Amino acid sequence: MTNFNWLLDGSIVGLYLLVTMAAGLMVRKYVGKVEHFLVAGREMDVYLGIASLAATEFGIVTCMYTAQNGYEKGFAGATPGILMALAMAVVGMTGFVIKPLRDAGVMTIPELFEQRFGQRIRWAAGVVIVLGGLLNMGVFLRTGGQFLVLVAGLDVKYLEIMMTALLVGVAIYTILGGMLSVLVTDFLQFVVMSAGLILVTILILVNVGWEKMVMTVETSYGAGGFNPFINPTMGWQYVLFNLMLNTAAVLTWQTTIARVLAAKDTATGQKVYTRTSFFFVCRFLIPGLWGIAALATLGPVANTLEAMPRYLSTAVPAGLMGILIAAMLAADMSTDSSYMLTWCSVIYNDIMAPFRKKPWSEKKGLFWNRTIIAFIGIFLLLYGLWYPLKGDLWTYLGVTGTIYLASISMLLIACCYWKRANSWGAGASIFVSALIPVSYLVMEQLPSTVQLAKSIGPYYSGIATYVLSAAAMVVGSLLKPQQSLRKESA
Amino acid sequence: MPHHWFWWIVTAACVVWYSTITVYVAFKGAKDIKNMLARLDATKKREAGEAQN
Repeated sequence: MTNFNWLLDGSIVGLYLLVTMAAGLMVRKYVGKVEHFLVAGREMDVYLGIASLAATEFGIVTCMYTAQNGYEKGFAGATPGILMALAMAVVGMTGFVIKPLRDAGVMTIPELFEQRFGQRIRWAAGVVIVLGGLLNMGVFLRTGGQFLVLVAGLDVKYLEIMMTALLVGVAIYTILGGMLSVLVTDFLQFVVMSAGLILVTILILVNVGWEKMVMTVETSYGAGGFNPFINPTMGWQYVLFNLMLNTAAVLTWQTTIARVLAAKDTATGQKVYTRTSFFFVCRFLIPGLWGIAALATLGPVANTLEAMPRYLSTAVPAGLMGILIAAMLAADMSTDSSYMLTWCSVIYNDIMAPFRKKPWSEKKGLFWNRTIIAFIGIFLLLYGLWYPLKGDLWTYLGVTGTIYLASISMLLIACCYWKRANSWGAGASIFVSALIPVSYLVMEQLPSTVQLAKSIGPYYSGIATYVLSAAAMVVGSLLKPQQSLRKESA
Repeated sequence: MPHHWFWWIVTAACVVWYSTITVYVAFKGAKDIKNMLARLDATKKREAGEAQN
């Protein structure tokens, strides 16, 4: 049984969808150039940037894995959020990497690499960014659908149809309005999403109570439920991997960086980072509390990913249920639209760059950008329906994200601050960074290697990727003869 | 002070900060959108004028 009321809650959800679609379509008239489509003509200001960054980086998938972390690890499960907030605040205040990146006036990270490492590295970087990003995004649809089906009490057979319809709607306004539609809808989605998140959290804190939640975590996980270093499923390796992962994400995750690149100037980009940083604590802790409340109310369940939506389906009353579903739809739509646009920007700007011997007209450029987004949507539907997810969701996202986060963060730091860095180091770093996580994912799926993958674990595999990727950059760069470096610069 | 004060403070900070920032960004962000679209419109008109000349 669920508290979802079709008349009351359905009307709230329907109204939200109508307003969002209308707003997304209305701004399409301002798109006349590729620059408008990909970076909103670089006209974004601070508060719109905060709303857009927060909305983009919180989807249903985020809510599901952070709640799963809360359910399985207690309060300690919010550790990645604290680490990410620290990394973002430091980067925003110092301008580390993001300042030279924005000052360069590029539309994507690989575009900057061409100036230093050459066209081939730009292309290779584009490929790993898209590979890591699309694998990462591949699980968004099904996970989002799982949440909506469970909370609204729908038959699971409608999951595919519902998520396909949602993706088509998002794709339409993203294809027509690009970054401008994304920013305007992100703003509306931020407001709706935040209202839902805050109201449901207050309801849970009042109904379940702080003491009961703390007692549940203490009984289930002991001191490890509050301290990641002594939690048997986390430990120093979890904290270190997440510190590396989140720092790299802050520096190079294309959807996050897209806000810096769309900002009207470098100072605005830095302010967006600094002022949004604490949101990343909320991003992990708020759904984490929902997960802890599910543990306190439902007790042990077979599928920990589904515990939170199952709990909410009966804990949230009609009326608020409509706001919750509208909030989660808002979260999902803003994430999907931004992610589709971002990976499109890399495919168009970097992977297709060698095919544009002569500059394309703005009309042709816009046509190709729109076509790429349509293809990304089709890929998401197909991949999202067949990939069997093993292990916890946050770790899957961490491993697939690492495919590019490790190398691209090393390349970016070296590009901005190490004069000796060159194409050999960059190539070696990209190769190592892609090889280790992809091998790990394949080993996890093959029956003959699944035990070996388990014994290594995702955290050691992740740490090894960052360390070896940095080592490959240094060794590769030092191995390249100085003579060829001089020729390159000449 | 409640048991496990660190997590209590972080939770309270999240609820208070997030509620405040949502209201603030809702007003300021709407103004940002209005200004952004006005600037884009002005640029579009200027470029159309230059193309005619």
